[in-house]
Amino acid sequence: MARHNLGTVVSFEVTRTLKKKQFWLTTLLVPVVIGIVIALIVLSNTSTESKVDSQKDATLRFTYSDASGYIDPAIATAFGGTLAADPDQAIADVKSGASAAYFSYPAEPTKEATTVYGADVGIFDNGKYSSVATQLMVASAQAKIGDQTLTGLARGSFQVDAITYKDGAVSGGILGAVAPLLFLLIFYVVIVMLGNQMLTSTLEEKENRVTEMILTTLNPTTLIMGKIISLFIIGIVQMLVFILPVLVGYLFFRTSLSLPDVDLSQLIVNPGQMVVGALLLIGGFTLFMGTLVAAGAIMPTAKEASQVFGIVMALVFVPLYAVSLVVSDPHALIVQLFTFFPYSAPVTAMLRNGLGSLSPLESGIVIAELFLLGGIVLRLAVQLFRYGSVEYTKRVSLRTVFARSRR
Amino acid sequence: MASSLLSSLDKPDQQAVPRKDSRSETEPLVHISNFRMDFGRTTVIRDLSFDINRGETFGFLGSNGSGKTTTIRALLGIYQPTAGLLHINGKPFSPEDGATLGYLPEERGLYKKESVIDVMTYFGRLKGLSRSNAHSWSLQYLERVALADKAKVRLDKLSGGQQQKVQLGVTIMNDPELLILDEPTKGFDPVNRKLLMDIIEDQKRAGATVLMVTHQMEEVERLCDRIVLLKNGEAEAYGTVEDVQDQYGGTVVRVRYSGEIPDSPHYTVTRRESSYAELTVTGPIDEAVILRELMDAGVTVREFTAGRPSLDDIFVAVYGDQNTGDQNPGDQNAGATAGERNGTAGE
Repeated sequence: MARHNLGTVVSFEVTRTLKKKQFWLTTLLVPVVIGIVIALIVLSNTSTESKVDSQKDATLRFTYSDASGYIDPAIATAFGGTLAADPDQAIADVKSGASAAYFSYPAEPTKEATTVYGADVGIFDNGKYSSVATQLMVASAQAKIGDQTLTGLARGSFQVDAITYKDGAVSGGILGAVAPLLFLLIFYVVIVMLGNQMLTSTLEEKENRVTEMILTTLNPTTLIMGKIISLFIIGIVQMLVFILPVLVGYLFFRTSLSLPDVDLSQLIVNPGQMVVGALLLIGGFTLFMGTLVAAGAIMPTAKEASQVFGIVMALVFVPLYAVSLVVSDPHALIVQLFTFFPYSAPVTAMLRNGLGSLSPLESGIVIAELFLLGGIVLRLAVQLFRYGSVEYTKRVSLRTVFARSRR
Repeated sequence: MASSLLSSLDKPDQQAVPRKDSRSETEPLVHISNFRMDFGRTTVIRDLSFDINRGETFGFLGSNGSGKTTTIRALLGIYQPTAGLLHINGKPFSPEDGATLGYLPEERGLYKKESVIDVMTYFGRLKGLSRSNAHSWSLQYLERVALADKAKVRLDKLSGGQQQKVQLGVTIMNDPELLILDEPTKGFDPVNRKLLMDIIEDQKRAGATVLMVTHQMEEVERLCDRIVLLKNGEAEAYGTVEDVQDQYGGTVVRVRYSGEIPDSPHYTVTRRESSYAELTVTGPIDEAVILRELMDAGVTVREFTAGRPSLDDIFVAVYGDQNTGDQNPGDQNAGATAGERNGTAGE
């Protein structure tokens, strides 16, 4: 019966959430915003690139002056440029519309800025002046070097692979940190997106005066587990919706978005780190969700409970203030404190696990602590809900609940 | 016809839960003995004992704040008793036994943002019905209580009375062995009150044991086989309605009259209106003696009947000295109707 009821609770909670318009409005807002941003970037980049490309054929007619002497006149002519006899007159011609643009190259282009003057043709199209001026200088510099490879090397276009060792074995470096740090990302996303829902989901029974009906029909542990599971499912749905536009952007507009071509085969996955990361995630999730359920059972209204949510959020983000110490000196006192204090432990330990500075002993202690305390807090949350949520209009004292449950 | 609605539906999920435990058919369904309940330093129930037999309708009476709701919550495991035994079917209640229980709490409420049919189906599933049975039973019930067109409407769009009908449906949809109704008619108009009483009587005829908390004494007289009166945390009176009536003062004379009713050592005037009075007879005096006394005093008697005191009279006699507005810590929400609390419109 308990398992049947768990399935019923999960089904009810998931279905009713997914049927709500407000859920989809807020959930779809994120991908819509991401989509708009991607579209704007792609549009802007496409416009600039097309202008540069079209410049080769239609050419931008411009004048230029070159105090550096690096600009090759033949290349400049091919780009559509004409050497300006008088810079002031060239600027005046741009102002009057007699000339489309004027580029002023300084004596030392690496130390001073090159100034471009042009007729305003809109936010996106104005980028063509800088692009053409840059391309002209790059092409002239390449021509002076006279060697394609040398030019590439001068521009830093070459790859360096680093192989580092730790305890005699190859260490992953930053590529080894990416995979275990994904657990930290998931933890943040889950807590930020679902925390408030968890806090208010048990309040709903209280605010709707449905607690007595529930407590005589359903084991409170089943109800709370059902709510946690359903929130996790809803969180997965939200994450998929959020990830979709990012995936589309990466797969189809990577060049326009100037995104790096990540070679996943280069990532180093250490099974030990992954197991520790997963356990820290589950333990941390249990502790925080249990805490939020307990707070929901104590507080009479969502408004009062939201104060607790603020404190929990602060505890999640506080370790980030010491992130530089976590990276540079993981044995510093404050880092040790954050590693073992239960509510800052998940974030700090997951960060250190990703960076490879969490020892097996420390991992064991933190995981045991999180699971133990998470279990205690969840049990407490169930007790608070069972003996506290029937107090519909007032905040419940822990002493009262314990007194009732001990008898 | 709620029970017939139920019996017409196949409920395979519930077949494992027998309606009655044949091993203990003669034992009371509810057994409460030496129950004590303290909230901090406040003692709400001192020492309460009573049984409810299978198939009977039992009235649990008391003034506001006397501890009725606290007792029910302790019986259902929502509160842990300070001392004493509170058993249903020979053991403390647990939510796993929920399929045999129908509980309409004093604090009414369901998931207000959800549709009527979704909520009813959900609770039906929790009480062991299959989804299709819970759904079809709910539709038939809504038809009966004239809410068929509200099946897909959100609960918070219904009036307080309509919400109560839905909650009653949720209470009885599992064909409960024990039906606990805490002030079931609160918030109902007379028409819907009659409908509610009909449904309760259907349940009773189908064999359900009913524990009813109410302040409507005419309902108690009409429906209840036995009652207990709770006062100062103890049973002030306990037995059949007739037993309790006998216990409280024997004969009451009801008179319609004109004139001035005189004082007499043979009776006490317990109610006096302009042309109606109730006289509680003191001592073994024949009613004819009282009629003679009235006529001798010049009172014109138009109607003269003698009988047992009403439960209303007994209630006033028992609790008349108490401020019935007091509430105990367990009944901290008593008093407000569902509509008042939830801001919903009345019917």
